[in-house]
Amino acid sequence: MVAAGDVDALLALCRSDDGGFGSMPGAGSEPASTALAAIALDDDEARRWLAGAQREDGSFGIDAGAVRSDDTSLVALALPAGPALERALDHVVAMAGANTVDGPDPPPYGWSWTVGAHGWTEPTAWGVLALRRCRPTSVDRIEDGLEVLRQRACVQGGWNYGTRESFDVEQPPFVQTTAIALFAVAGIDDALTSSGARALRSRWRHESQGVLSLATAAAALRFLNDADANDAMAVLTDQVLGAEGVGTVALAWSSIAAGDGLLALEA
Amino acid sequence: MGRPPISRRAFVRGAGALAAFGAATAAGLRLRGGPASPWDGDVFAPPDRAHVAVLRASYDSDLTGIVTDGLRAIGANVAGARVLLKPNMVEYDRGAAINTDPRLVVAAVEALRALGAGSVAVGEAPGHRRDTGYVVSASGLADALKDVHAPFIDMNISRAAPVQLHTYYTTMRQLWLPDAVTEADVVVSMPKMKTHHWAGVTLSLKNCFGCLPGRVYGWPKNALHWQGIERSILDIAGAVRPAYAIVDGIVAMEGNGPIDGTAKDVGLLIVGDDPVAVDATTSHVMGFDPDRFTYLREAGRFLGVSDLTRIEIRGEDPDTVVDPFVPAPTFGGPAVIGGQ
Repeated sequence: MVAAGDVDALLALCRSDDGGFGSMPGAGSEPASTALAAIALDDDEARRWLAGAQREDGSFGIDAGAVRSDDTSLVALALPAGPALERALDHVVAMAGANTVDGPDPPPYGWSWTVGAHGWTEPTAWGVLALRRCRPTSVDRIEDGLEVLRQRACVQGGWNYGTRESFDVEQPPFVQTTAIALFAVAGIDDALTSSGARALRSRWRHESQGVLSLATAAAALRFLNDADANDAMAVLTDQVLGAEGVGTVALAWSSIAAGDGLLALEA
Repeated sequence: MGRPPISRRAFVRGAGALAAFGAATAAGLRLRGGPASPWDGDVFAPPDRAHVAVLRASYDSDLTGIVTDGLRAIGANVAGARVLLKPNMVEYDRGAAINTDPRLVVAAVEALRALGAGSVAVGEAPGHRRDTGYVVSASGLADALKDVHAPFIDMNISRAAPVQLHTYYTTMRQLWLPDAVTEADVVVSMPKMKTHHWAGVTLSLKNCFGCLPGRVYGWPKNALHWQGIERSILDIAGAVRPAYAIVDGIVAMEGNGPIDGTAKDVGLLIVGDDPVAVDATTSHVMGFDPDRFTYLREAGRFLGVSDLTRIEIRGEDPDTVVDPFVPAPTFGGPAVIGGQ
């Protein structure tokens, strides 16, 4: 079985000199990878980096010209209670995916990867989870996000990046996005959780060549107390310690799957 | 291909002049019919000559030899160069003709080494899957590259930095590009020959979307779609500036591409020293008038040669190998480039 300490040592190699974490060793610190590492390692130094990276509007992300990525929901799960978290949550509540370029914009919205774009599975899952855990009074936004996850769930259960059908063709679920969405819906929508877990159980072995898919699957299966959790953890042991080029996010998920980081992902 | 007036690395890494910003903004707004050019004229020399080789091939043939011959036929010069190959691995579905075939990628690695490349790496930032490792392993590309000791770079997580744009079709002004792209002397775009439900065709220019890291642009890179897919193709290809293109048209995809279309045996590789010329020639072979694709016509104004009569052809005569593709059912004809 993978030992949390072994993975944590690999994850520590991804830390930058400024205390944050880049997407891989040697890369500059970024909010999303730093937040996941902070959750995995329960790491105050990473949290201090995050506190210094908050934008004026309370959000976190990468600025790329006119494109602004938005990782605020994930970062909120890593922040300690306090003003920075409250500002981040204010932003999460205000932030919504867009369904039309202009004109009336019908709900549900969910959350988008970048400001002003469409809502997708992973950022919507983080939005729901952040509010369920840190600001459960935001009932409308939580329900909006859940509705996005209901509408985007694949016909066979689970989720891909966020498309149930593409031009009349049913799209299959992916392990990585299914696993993350399960954290958001578990304990609040039993039907969605059940169908998602079924999809995860049926697919995780097929996608276990990818460390990120395997690590997220192992974390979700353990989170759900699923009978497949031990098998997934055993395969993860072989994969993560022998793989090359595994990035911070995949290592952080491996650590979360093996350690106590799961506690930070409970709504 | 017209040689850029400044070196490629200087071009992609250099800070853009603020002076260009205002002029370009105005140009962009006039793009719907105005005469202004939405690119920096001192960066993009007027396209002049282009060379494209149309080659018959199968996956069981001597692909390394065919690609080497094709690159020689177009006069490719990669001696001592750091080369980045960019295949299309947007997502993986066993049995679907979505990806550039790993056998062709390996053949390109070996061909470029034979032609004296200093180093050859392969990089991709899949657009639908965050787990690049899964796509690369499941598709067989990881093992294929190990066999020839070629490194793979996951450009979704590799080091990246912002670069200033010298084209102004979108409002982005800046792109995050992996160091693997900006530090390469030569980028070779290696698309699959496919129809595309929004762009009409997805070839060497559209393939450049896969250079942008998902950790900035998301999975999918929806921000680019919201900027207008054709505008984004122009800005991204204008920043990446592939020097060469090798199109996998051995088994292609028609109909509901680029993911859910039907495999089509075509048996061709199309190799060229100008990605615009390669895409125009490939579109013609697919049975489409290149002018039907607005971004391709626009790219022919600054990035390469889209006029088929100005492309020097080697190998097969494109007219004799035209094999009409079923278009994507949702692609209705020339898009309006101003319609974001």
